Amino acid sequence: MLNEMIGLWIGAFLTLGIMSFLYKDNPWYKICEAIFIGISAGYWFASMWWQNLVAKLIDNLWPALVALGHGEIQYNLVYLVAAVLGVMMLLRLVPGVGWLSRWPIAVIVGATAGLQFINFLVSNGVKQIRNTIVPLFGPISDAGGIPPVQSWEEALGNVVILVGTFTGLVYFFFSKEHKGLFGGTAKVGTWFIMITFGASFGYTVMSRMSLFIGRLDFLVNDWVMVTLDFVGL
Amino acid sequence: MRRTFPILITVVVGWVLIVADFIPHKPFGNLGDDFALYFDIIAVFAFILGGGNLFRIHLTKVQKKKKDWPFSIVTLGGFIVMLAAGLFKIGNPGGIQGDVAAVGSLFNDMYMQIFTPLQASMFALLAFFVGSASYRAFRAKTTEATILLIAAFIVLLGRTPFGLWLTSGLTGDMSFLQLPNLTDWIMDVPNLAGQRAIMIGIALGVISMSLRLILGVERTYLGGDSD
Amino acid sequence: MGYSVISGLRKSVPTCIIALTLLLGPSAFAQESPDTATVDSVFVSEAVESAASPRAAQLNVVQDSRGDAGGAISVKWFRSPDDGMGADNITGYEIFRSESPDGLFESVGFASRGRTSFEDATTVDGQTYYYYLATVSATGVSRSGVSAGARSSAQWLNTRDIDTLIIGFIICFSVIFFIYHAQKGKKLFLRKIAGLEAVDEAIGRATEMGRPILFIPGIQDLDNVQTVAGLTILGRIARTIADYDTKINMPVSRSIVMATARETIKQAYVAAGRPDAYSDDMVYYLTDEQFGYVAAVDGIMVREKPATCFYLGAFFAESLIMAETGNSIGAIQIAGTAMPSQLPFFIAACDYTLIGEELFAASAYLSDEPRQLGALKGQDVGKIIAMSVILVLCILFSVAAITESESILSLANTFKGWFSLS
Repeated sequence: MLNEMIGLWIGAFLTLGIMSFLYKDNPWYKICEAIFIGISAGYWFASMWWQNLVAKLIDNLWPALVALGHGEIQYNLVYLVAAVLGVMMLLRLVPGVGWLSRWPIAVIVGATAGLQFINFLVSNGVKQIRNTIVPLFGPISDAGGIPPVQSWEEALGNVVILVGTFTGLVYFFFSKEHKGLFGGTAKVGTWFIMITFGASFGYTVMSRMSLFIGRLDFLVNDWVMVTLDFVGL
Repeated sequence: MRRTFPILITVVVGWVLIVADFIPHKPFGNLGDDFALYFDIIAVFAFILGGGNLFRIHLTKVQKKKKDWPFSIVTLGGFIVMLAAGLFKIGNPGGIQGDVAAVGSLFNDMYMQIFTPLQASMFALLAFFVGSASYRAFRAKTTEATILLIAAFIVLLGRTPFGLWLTSGLTGDMSFLQLPNLTDWIMDVPNLAGQRAIMIGIALGVISMSLRLILGVERTYLGGDSD
Repeated sequence: MGYSVISGLRKSVPTCIIALTLLLGPSAFAQESPDTATVDSVFVSEAVESAASPRAAQLNVVQDSRGDAGGAISVKWFRSPDDGMGADNITGYEIFRSESPDGLFESVGFASRGRTSFEDATTVDGQTYYYYLATVSATGVSRSGVSAGARSSAQWLNTRDIDTLIIGFIICFSVIFFIYHAQKGKKLFLRKIAGLEAVDEAIGRATEMGRPILFIPGIQDLDNVQTVAGLTILGRIARTIADYDTKINMPVSRSIVMATARETIKQAYVAAGRPDAYSDDMVYYLTDEQFGYVAAVDGIMVREKPATCFYLGAFFAESLIMAETGNSIGAIQIAGTAMPSQLPFFIAACDYTLIGEELFAASAYLSDEPRQLGALKGQDVGKIIAMSVILVLCILFSVAAITESESILSLANTFKGWFSLS
């Protein structure tokens, strides 16, 4: 019970400290901020240490080391390269050879460029283009394997989606000035984009409110109530 | 050599990974996974630089008694205790072989009692910032801001019982104007259209950016064209 | 007519790719012969039929899964006459496998009714396997005959993704073409992007006020292309900052980003001829934790009051916390991200926002180099292609739907097939 009380009071102290920032910057917030930075940085490093370095590299390269024994190093090229790249990163600390740390950075940038090229081509590009290709209108019955357009509302929706996608893309054109008919089309495109942003905004508001209600619930129902209970009120 | 070679590495790695996506055979088939591993390992080593930097900055602040230096002691203390708790698995029921975040360990206790409430509270501040941002959008007088606000307002209300109640009088032919129905239509039609335009644009942007990187045209991340 | 042209084109592309593969590695040319067994001729009918049993589905073809890294055999069959028709009482099909035709068969998977294929992804390459199919209904089970042997192997070409390759190739070509075309030709016209027009003014303002510039490259690591985009823009901005001798303050949440950003800014100072003015302290690591990072950034904002804030990279929920705090201290704010869910918040709280594609175009814009600008022209061509494809195919499908013409439909489907995903 005492342990639980301490935990609740720490939680309440930190919660109120963070909230106090809304009023203005103050020492209470600064303490919470300082704790947060220190603890979370330590948390991430310890997690990375065990989950990346030990589990992914040392376990595969030199398993005996993990078991605190003596054993052979497994000369697997993939893991050796990983180890070498990691050590190269650290060479920033060594005067004179610091430039070698550009190599692992170059590997990451190259890999990011290559992998994301494919990812975005497929998941953003090809997939979105494919999803936009539908019969805009057509008979109510199933015509030769095309999913039928069920109603005029659906047909209208299909046309609006096509117009929105089309004009939205026009907005993103870089090499043509937005004026005349082209500018008007781009303008319509921005309206669609703004509806998208508005929808996303409106969709998020309630979930953000519920986060705050969650903290209030902690303060009132957990902290205050349990404390009152503890002191016998 | 110092500048040109890294560019060459980027070029080669980038092209090999693109080509490898179309070659399932070894050793190309799992190159993507290999690079994910390289990245994870480089990240751990890099943390020694980042964490070391954090440690040094706050230590200097304390030593030189710079502004707000007592808070740096708190940061240093939190960092060292959490790091030691994790690396040495202090209080871990499974000992040094146990899972780092095992229940009962100091690491887990600090995570649950300190880290989690801080995280949740910071996240909860968003409720207020969403409010102030809405107010700002409300005051903007452009067509775009008005459209954004109207769409936001309809979707916000349409997802609440209040929105349903407010427009429940609209029946029959007018029922499509009921806020929940209007919300569904906005989400499924104009929102989707805008979403697609943005996503196709992003795809082209990423493709072009990647190509500029792996053709060696874009090299500012390593400091432009000078040596 | 159009139809045959298209299929001809589709056939010629794999040849080009094999040639490309050959260029990249001679050993890549070794295409394995397919390890296929056509089942019809080798049936060993062992099915035990009873009055209650459903009519058995028959195996169609059992073969190595094509265009993969090995370790998988694809099993295809013809539906049971009682699946979706006849007695219509089939639950599904259970797939059995053995290493010899008369050895012990074990179940490797179950496919629900209506399905006609299954991929056994648990095979060892080079080992021969035999399969049969059990058609399961509520009342009983019927077996198909045993297939001929099939072996799995890895292929050198992912034939499943050929369509993606073609589209990627076309877009690549247009970008690369304009990069090198622009190198020779005259300067391209580019429309103004307000957020980028304001960059110089924003830096100048910080210089005049004697306050720092805050640069946030998002909270993702260097394996996110948005972070890379943010850093390329940093490279351009840092050059101006070095020229003006403005103070830059760049807290980051990833160590690799810290190391890279230091390199970026340092080189900009070197290029500006002021290497001594550079200090590692300009870029510093806070914490990897999203909300810990934003707690610290908020503190920095209210205490150091930067005149200008840049948010360029990948952002999540923390975007609004930072942008609203920046707004409250009266900073000029320029944001850019490709996270659609965070864009509305930047738009509401910042002075300028680069939307999606504009983020990736920003460093090319700021560079003013013909080759970089050429790439943007290439992107526009990509957009024209995407828009034309969407428009033409939507119309084609609509015409097919209205006229109920099978030939127009199959033409439209062929085109749409290019955008299929494996």
